[in-house]
Amino acid sequence: MSPTTPLNPTSPPTLTLISNSTPVAQGAEAKVYKSILHPSREGSPVSIFVKYRFTKQYRHPTLDTNLTRARVAGEARALMKCLRSGVNVPGIRMVDASEGVLGTEWIEGKSVRALLGGGADDEGDDDELLEDGQDTQELLEEDTLKPFGLSQDTLMSMIGTEIAKMHLADVIHGDLTTSNMMLPFPSPSHLTLLYLVDFGLSFTSPLTEDKAVDLYVLERAFSSTHPDSSALFARVLDAYAKRVGEKEWGVVGRRLDDVRLRGRKRSMVG
Amino acid sequence: MPGRLRKSNPLKKPDRPYYALGLEGSANKLGAGIIKHAEDGSSSVLSNVRHTYITPPGEGFLPRDTAQHHREWALKVIKDALKQAGIAMRDIDCICYTKGPGMGAPLVSVALVARTLSLLFNKPLVGVNHCVGHIEMGREITGAQNPVVLYVSGGNTQVIAYSRQCYRIFGETLDIAVGNCLDRFARVINLSNDPSPGYNIEQEAKKGKRLLPLPYSTKGMDLSLSGILTATEAYTTDKRFRIDPTTDELNGEDIITPADLCFSLQETVFAMLVEITERAMAHIGSKEVLIVGGVGCNERLQEMMGVMASERNGQVFATDERFCIDNGIMIAQAGLLSYRMGYTTPLVESTCTQRFRTDEVHVAWRA
Repeated sequence: MSPTTPLNPTSPPTLTLISNSTPVAQGAEAKVYKSILHPSREGSPVSIFVKYRFTKQYRHPTLDTNLTRARVAGEARALMKCLRSGVNVPGIRMVDASEGVLGTEWIEGKSVRALLGGGADDEGDDDELLEDGQDTQELLEEDTLKPFGLSQDTLMSMIGTEIAKMHLADVIHGDLTTSNMMLPFPSPSHLTLLYLVDFGLSFTSPLTEDKAVDLYVLERAFSSTHPDSSALFARVLDAYAKRVGEKEWGVVGRRLDDVRLRGRKRSMVG
Repeated sequence: MPGRLRKSNPLKKPDRPYYALGLEGSANKLGAGIIKHAEDGSSSVLSNVRHTYITPPGEGFLPRDTAQHHREWALKVIKDALKQAGIAMRDIDCICYTKGPGMGAPLVSVALVARTLSLLFNKPLVGVNHCVGHIEMGREITGAQNPVVLYVSGGNTQVIAYSRQCYRIFGETLDIAVGNCLDRFARVINLSNDPSPGYNIEQEAKKGKRLLPLPYSTKGMDLSLSGILTATEAYTTDKRFRIDPTTDELNGEDIITPADLCFSLQETVFAMLVEITERAMAHIGSKEVLIVGGVGCNERLQEMMGVMASERNGQVFATDERFCIDNGIMIAQAGLLSYRMGYTTPLVESTCTQRFRTDEVHVAWRA
């Protein structure tokens, strides 16, 4: 904590950190902040991305505490597993499971959704509600991608490879959309990398089914947010297949075909 | 939807009053109701009669017996509905019946009644989707404009929002419905089915104090309930479980009572429902929630939803048991809306189906 910040001795330090942070967004489950870690330390201060799962008043307090703790820990665990397996995900900077706070590396960049001209970088992945507003938006992919020194094809391959690496580690993202992929602004010191973010719905599973559904969710997100993107998605799958290997892709690819036929929503008996 | 211009309403005001008879019998409730759409665009419920097939404690309703019940009561219920409304069959514009989804045998027996009436009095038939009936009646009663709809009943659990002439399903149960989960647990602990097992669970839960750990399984906007039912049932074989605790036991010992189980089941399951509804609201940017279906009259669910909605500066709409629980009037309302758009079901197509998804219906009457 900065010595200039008055500390309230009764409030936990994590919540004090949040009260000194800049709000970025609020979703259904959590509030998101940009925060500075070690502001008093020498050198440039470190920005972090803080996800705060605040208390839900409607839930029984015991249930709420347990759920929040389990979810923060689960997200942190998935990130750790990815980091160990060399998947590009934001590094963990702090975890306070009992307060519902997870702090990760701040990635200064753009979401793939924005780069592909998929409109505002907010909600709306697997529904068709947003399509109405999209005819006004020009697709300027090549231009927006230029500062990153990437072609659209390369970007798609990077997405496929990153997902493949994650699935090889048996981590299922659970909410793969183009909004949940970030490209950091290029810097001369390192290569441009694609980051997978927001592991709030992730879980661990070695099952083909779960991996196929994960890919299917992304496919739906592509088709609803980026019209005429089937060629793009095919590039993603190519790169995925290449990375996981022929044998594994044979199984996952076939299951993906099944999932497509079935749809995620089955017909249900009334 | 945000950022979109409000289109003109395709439903024109009626040139004369319209009357519709609605017949519902997709589960153990047999309902007949008559609705009136007046020239000024308002609607009024002229009658809403219902008779429920109630089974002994510990038993559910079987399709064959339920169909039998509907056949026995159909004439009485329809006659009562006409009498209360004070109109004759010749004044009716159309006969609306539940086409699905629901239990096969009861659906068929009510559709048969509808077909017979249609031929006897030479009135057009309108087949109605049961879920759309719930949504339209909820909108009519509460005046909610464009809400996220949580449809919770014995057979369905869906989070729905309207988009481009279709009620789209954003999330739903992956296995059993929430009403089914509650009713089946009521049977396990031998609660009465009168007036409904869900109502008795709600009363029992008010006495419960201890929150027992149960699985909590939401998956994005979907949820799974069958494991929770199994886990709750498993507590009844726990050695701490007392079906009929004495006062001493209640005050001192570490025991599990049926009330505790009802309380824990409700708290867990409803928290899941509120969570997926909130996710859908955040997803499409809506501030209104409408709860429909039989479980929707549970006051604890309404209360939790209200807390969530007020945290988001939103509003919750719910109706009471007259309109939440399956009824004939909602079938009349949805049927009359599509009839006024020029839709009727020819006799040869007046079938029913057990599988009829909410998003298969073309909602012609909304912009």
